[in-house]
Amino acid sequence: MSDVDVDTGTVRVERTFEAPAEAVFDAWTNPEVLRRWWKAAENHEVAVADVDLRVGGGYRLAMRNTDSGDDLVVFGTYREISRPDRLVYSWVWEGTGPYAGHESEVAVTFAEEAPGRTTVTIEHAGLLDQTSRENHASGWVGVLDSLERSGAAASR
Amino acid sequence: MANSHASATLDRSFVAVAHPLRRTILERLADGELTVGEATHDFPVSKPAISKHLKVLEEAGAIVRVIDGRTHRLRLNGSSLEEAYAWLARQRALWERKLDVVEEYLSEQKQQHGNDTPQTPGTERSA
Repeated sequence: MSDVDVDTGTVRVERTFEAPAEAVFDAWTNPEVLRRWWKAAENHEVAVADVDLRVGGGYRLAMRNTDSGDDLVVFGTYREISRPDRLVYSWVWEGTGPYAGHESEVAVTFAEEAPGRTTVTIEHAGLLDQTSRENHASGWVGVLDSLERSGAAASR
Repeated sequence: MANSHASATLDRSFVAVAHPLRRTILERLADGELTVGEATHDFPVSKPAISKHLKVLEEAGAIVRVIDGRTHRLRLNGSSLEEAYAWLARQRALWERKLDVVEEYLSEQKQQHGNDTPQTPGTERSA
C-alpha cells in the first residue's frame, strides 16, 4: 500500500522498534516525547503538550515559529485507548491553514511481533475534506460532467 | 480582460468535452496516469484521429503528456491534486519525525536501564 493515498486522504506510516509494546505505547503518549516532537524544527519554541489520556479526554500541542511568529496548534480527543495495543484520536489543526478546523482521525497500532520487538502503524485518515477530495478526484471530469449535463456539450 | 480570459478557458473546456472519445479519455485518466495505448487502445478510430483528440485535450489544459523515452504517458492536469499530495506528504513527514523522537527517547530509556542493571548488557544495543 502506498504511504500517501490522495483518493481517501490517508497517510500510513510504519516502523519497528526494539522495545516491548508497553514501552512504545507509553512513549507515544508521554508529554515529554510530545513536546520534543513538536519542537523538532529549529526555529520553534514554547511547545505545549497537554494530555488527558482517557476516552473523551483531550490533548493539545502548541508550538511557536520564532521566525514568523505563527502558532502551530493541533488538538483532539482520545476515542479509543487499549494499552498497549491501540490508540485512536481525533486530530484538528487550529488556525488559518487550508485544512484548519477540519477533523481527521489518527489510529495507532502497537503490535509486539516478538518479545521486545514492536511494530507501530499510524493511519491518519480523513485528511482531505470532502470538497478538496471531489476537486482532485474528479477534477476536470467533474467540471466536464456538469457541462455535459447542462446540455452544452451535446449541442456540438 | 478577466472575463474574456475566463470565457476563452470555458470555450476550450467546451471543445474538450465535445466528443465522446475525449470524455472517455478524461474519465479513464481520473483513476491515474495511463500510457496513450492504455487510454485509447479500444477506440475504433485511426491513430492520427487519436492524436488529434489528445492535442485538443492538451490545448484545453485538461491533460498533460509526460514523455519518457518512447512512452508517452497522459495524466489529468489538476493542480489541486498536486496540492493535496503535497499536504499529505507534509503530514507523513510529521509522523516520521514523531517516530524518530520516540525511537530516540526509547534508546535513552534503554541506556538508563542498562546503567541501572548492568547484568543484562545484551539488551543494550540500540536499534
